[in-house]
Amino acid sequence: MEENIKDEAAKDNYRQAPKTAVYVCHCGGNISDVVDVKKVAAEMARYPGVAVAREYAFMCSSNGQDLIIDDIKKLGVNRVVVAACSPSLHELTFRGVLQRAGINPYLYEHVNIREQVSWVHKADHEGATAKAVKLTQAGVEKVLRQDPLNAIRVAAEPRVAVIGGGAAGMKAALAAAGKGLEAVIIEKAPRLGGKLLELGKVYPSGEQASSVLKKFEDLVAAEKLITVHTGAEIDFVGGFVGNFKINFKKSDGGMAQIKAGAVIMATGFEHYKPHKGEFGFGEAANVVTLPDLITLLKNSPAGRLEYAGKEIKSLALIHCVGSRQIEGVNQPQADGKVNDYCSRVCCTSALYTANQVKEKYPAVQIYDIYRDIRTYGMRHEDYYEKASKDGVIFFRHAETDQPIVESARVAHTVKVKDVLTWNEELEIKADLLVLVTGMMPSDIKFLASQMKLAVGADRFLQEVHPKLRPVEAANSGIFIAGTAQAPMDLTETAAAAATAAAKAAILLAEPDIPLEPFVAVVDEAKCTGCGLCPAECSYEGALMMTEKNGKKLAQVNPALCKGCGACVAVCPVRAIDVAGWTLDQFDAMVDAIGKEG
Amino acid sequence: MSSRKILIITTNHSSYPGANAVGQARLAYGANTYIIRVPDPVMFPEDFYLRAFDKGIAGIIIMSSGSDCPYEGAYPRLAARVARVYEKMKAKGIPAARLKLTTICTVCRAAFLKEISEMEKAVAAS
Repeated sequence: MEENIKDEAAKDNYRQAPKTAVYVCHCGGNISDVVDVKKVAAEMARYPGVAVAREYAFMCSSNGQDLIIDDIKKLGVNRVVVAACSPSLHELTFRGVLQRAGINPYLYEHVNIREQVSWVHKADHEGATAKAVKLTQAGVEKVLRQDPLNAIRVAAEPRVAVIGGGAAGMKAALAAAGKGLEAVIIEKAPRLGGKLLELGKVYPSGEQASSVLKKFEDLVAAEKLITVHTGAEIDFVGGFVGNFKINFKKSDGGMAQIKAGAVIMATGFEHYKPHKGEFGFGEAANVVTLPDLITLLKNSPAGRLEYAGKEIKSLALIHCVGSRQIEGVNQPQADGKVNDYCSRVCCTSALYTANQVKEKYPAVQIYDIYRDIRTYGMRHEDYYEKASKDGVIFFRHAETDQPIVESARVAHTVKVKDVLTWNEELEIKADLLVLVTGMMPSDIKFLASQMKLAVGADRFLQEVHPKLRPVEAANSGIFIAGTAQAPMDLTETAAAAATAAAKAAILLAEPDIPLEPFVAVVDEAKCTGCGLCPAECSYEGALMMTEKNGKKLAQVNPALCKGCGACVAVCPVRAIDVAGWTLDQFDAMVDAIGKEG
Repeated sequence: MSSRKILIITTNHSSYPGANAVGQARLAYGANTYIIRVPDPVMFPEDFYLRAFDKGIAGIIIMSSGSDCPYEGAYPRLAARVARVYEKMKAKGIPAARLKLTTICTVCRAAFLKEISEMEKAVAAS
């Protein structure tokens, strides 16, 4: 028994007295040009609980990392604080250093004295140095109260469920299968394809969408690791990372269940539908949307562009219909909110379509009425250039001066206060009015509610962070592919889908998956079983009351807990905390910061 | 520069990267500001704030992720808790302006600086 304890102590330094080392990084001159790093190290060397404090030019370099390893091995250091750049850059680097030196990687605290000190207090060297000292002291107080943590491991189903069988869903399933991961596509429509079924030519390749779809379908059909369920109606999604369960009604009326370790949401988008009377839509003849024009173009005979049996000699495109809407000006959606976001792809799509009209029907006059042209992608500006050269006439209006449409029986007059001609009020006559409509997320309220997915103010599914954790939902094991997350074109959709698949494949690469240990933990000795905490938890099954040895206790399911800490605040006896982020640690940090001197 | 300490509570996902963005842009603010990061400030009970005031913190800015918070239900709970903190501050005679709940995104540099500037004024006045 004694031997076991010694082994554990050697592994986790759990029972050893804390021995903290502090390292202050110069970051070349990025920090040391402003912060007196020698003074910070000297102050820290005197701070209670600190065994050694050093400063070094680049702590992230091999030599800097070796300094830490040497101190751990030779001085018996068992807790480390590095005051350097942002933790987003090197927290993992230094955790890895601790691990390599044989101590628990979570007995580490990273203090940011670059982005939040030297770079913002250049004119106040003394203040910056004093602040660096205080923040590093707070870091020491936190790490002194840090317990060794171990990644939580849960057994995982070696398969990904892909909800949605459009371009994003098919690409995600193919990318996952390409990495050796079994993928199951669950599509509600009778066939795969999603919006590819509606589109015409797609940029940048100029291929017909039907041809792209055929390639996708053939690849999916040929891939043994992919199973497809079309006409499937999901009625339950439960479980957690590694162990999701999706129940659905099959097209033949029978029920089925998929068990999956990860889920990719590829639920796509819907076109914005203008409300009745919006620029004459639904009231006047010959007012259509851009998707309508794309369909028209696919089906119109050569030589004569027709709509409702009449030749179209001129058409006017109006941009930003259902996008970049203004509260108080535009009619809100059912949830009371306007679509204030930019749908991103419609400018490029409108110009690409206008160019196709010009190619097929050179005599058709096209007027393009816009607020801003946002052809943001690689070489997309070329479509604008081509349209200009081919005689498309552009009119630009201000945000507050929306175009006004007056419709007669067979044609429309659009009145525009044109910024390009110094606010000249111009009238454009057109046989066909094309509203360049934006994207809205598919209605997935049921799934979002079942899966507790975060939805942004724009109603699209929310990724945790566009740069740090793209395509990841806050819920572990759920990834977002394509336009379920934001308006994007086919190229971006494919990239996002492949990213989601790669992340799912990484997650499920081993039979059991590691989870960050920053989840709620209950001190059973302290817990009084009052039952206040489960009511605060938004994640079903993450925190429940249980009974152990006749005592009522709160119990956390670490695989379901997201580590937000909502439960922590309501515990009257501080029996529940988020591991690695405890209230005692924060109190001690505040004490260090608040203390005079 | 005021020597009165301002504690800034930031979130891992949103306002902490936002504070970094201010640094990356080399924008300046007072060195009496101390940023701590948390998964979500919803974890702090009411007495955490009152204790911080007792321990020498002049002003606290809670920079939450607002409606973009990735944790379901966390922001409304936080807002309700902060409302209760205000009541307790009032009972103790602590000016309400010394605590501010706001939303800062990963690129909200101007808003970040504005909040600090306003808190500087609030702590100077109290």
